[in-house]
Amino acid sequence: MPIITPPAVVEFQSVSKVYRLGFLGRQRICALRDVTLAVPRGSVFGVVGPNRAGKTTLVKALLSICRPTAGTILRLGRSAQDRSTLDRVGYLHESQAFPRYLTATALLQYYGALSFVPAGELARRIPRRLEQVGLADRAREPIATFSKGMVQRLALAQAMVNDPELLVLDEPTEGMDLVARKLLHDVVRRHKAEGKTTILVSHSLSDVEQLCDRVAVLRGGRVAFSGALSELIAGATADDSAAALQDALEPMYAGAST
Amino acid sequence: MTLSKFVTTTTWLVRDTFRQSLASGLCWLLLGLSTICILVCCSAGANGHRSLILPGEHNGNFLPRFDREAHDAQKLKQSGTIVADGTLSLAFGAIRVPLARDAREAVHFVQLVLSAGVADTLGLLLTLVWTAGFLPGFLDRRAIAVLLAKPIPRGALLMGKYIGVLAFVLVQASYFVVGTWLALALRTGIWDASYLLSVPLLLLHFAIFFSVSLLLAVCTRSTVVSVFGSIAFWGICWAINYGRHSVMAAAAIAPEGSISPGLLRLANFGYWLFPKPVDLGRFVFDTLGAESSFRPLFQHLPSVSMGLSIFTSLLFTGYVLFAASRYLRRVEY
Repeated sequence: MPIITPPAVVEFQSVSKVYRLGFLGRQRICALRDVTLAVPRGSVFGVVGPNRAGKTTLVKALLSICRPTAGTILRLGRSAQDRSTLDRVGYLHESQAFPRYLTATALLQYYGALSFVPAGELARRIPRRLEQVGLADRAREPIATFSKGMVQRLALAQAMVNDPELLVLDEPTEGMDLVARKLLHDVVRRHKAEGKTTILVSHSLSDVEQLCDRVAVLRGGRVAFSGALSELIAGATADDSAAALQDALEPMYAGAST
Repeated sequence: MTLSKFVTTTTWLVRDTFRQSLASGLCWLLLGLSTICILVCCSAGANGHRSLILPGEHNGNFLPRFDREAHDAQKLKQSGTIVADGTLSLAFGAIRVPLARDAREAVHFVQLVLSAGVADTLGLLLTLVWTAGFLPGFLDRRAIAVLLAKPIPRGALLMGKYIGVLAFVLVQASYFVVGTWLALALRTGIWDASYLLSVPLLLLHFAIFFSVSLLLAVCTRSTVVSVFGSIAFWGICWAINYGRHSVMAAAAIAPEGSISPGLLRLANFGYWLFPKPVDLGRFVFDTLGAESSFRPLFQHLPSVSMGLSIFTSLLFTGYVLFAASRYLRRVEY
């Protein structure tokens, strides 16, 4: 029986990204090298790799925060240059710098409105989102009084406020305690159950193992592995690229054990 | 991006700017300073019933009260000369300043000082300094990343924030001008509505120089560069503007050939290229009818086409805003 692959929500086709730094941009840093990936609809797609592997650049290129030097990116069936599809995307940034003068509710109103969610819909949705991330009782409090973990949970609610088809989470468990981490897992699982797609960029292999059904391993801007999580676990020692994969994952395991 | 989406974006960015100003205390600080000026106006009074120019007379003979001949009643009566008897009082009459003006002119003089001196010079520079921090905070790498992932073009985000700051300044300028106007009018009974034109003029002046602050913020994301850069730019523009008028005035009276044509061309080039704060100040004076009070300030300067001067200043602003949007579109975050 043939395996039917669901249509891709995100496609990277030979994407490269070179940052030019220093005086007159003479210093070049190659963050992505010929990356080709497809993220199937309805999946939880993990992106893992050691520091400076190019994970965040991959996300930024997907969200039009930076432009790829070469290659094509398709987001929700359209070129990533077309910003109109971003109203169906939710993004949790790796480090939060929200306006500290806003309350939790005001923050969600602000970012929701800038995703063009109608005001009435937003009014109904915000209490639900705050409930989901365990901040319903802090809705009227300014963010300045929040702990790092609470801000991270609020960031998750922000990413979900426009009820996105594609949720992009960049290091979402940073600063979260076990309870918050469980809340995150619940949110991602519920999102998947609704047939929607999540891209999870993480240092935490345990999060990836628990949540993702497909994984891409990046190292030095290249894709060292891309496929089902089960293939990664089973094939890590048998595949020809096992050594490269081991190189990519080793620093992460080392980090996890400390 | 559709117009309705642009309006939505701008509305929320305006709202965010007001929240930012409230949280930083800037809003209260400016309102406090304006309130002090309003209270000073509440304590002011003016009297003196003789007009400088009699009805139907365009050049009435006028003597200040401290002139020796002003006390010779017989002579005054014969020549029809009038002596100004205006008095400006402050702190509910505790301070009395004799003025060579009638009450209406005295109030008008106070309004001109408030508009051109307090608001258009001191207020403008302070507001430029205090609002310069709005943009770098907004454009911080971590803060803007989430906004850049929204379906809004970067240029629209920048314009929204620019309009937000202008809206904030409009509210502050309106409070200051309307507040002082009402206070003076209620105390003196003189309702001079031309003073209210200060509000759009102050906003125009601020909009031109804040565009430079915005460009510096986009390019450097540094509050310090934005603050000092925009103030330095204002100073340079002032010098170029005043310098050009001085060179032109000198050229008009100096013997032919004594001023180098190259210098004239250079002065004109700088003048037409950059914003013109001296002309804008002069425009405020002209609009508010400051001819009788501040004639010596500008009488040595050559006449200029105000419309063209303001148009070229606005053209510069438009170009700077375009350059800032273009830079933001290309910058890597």
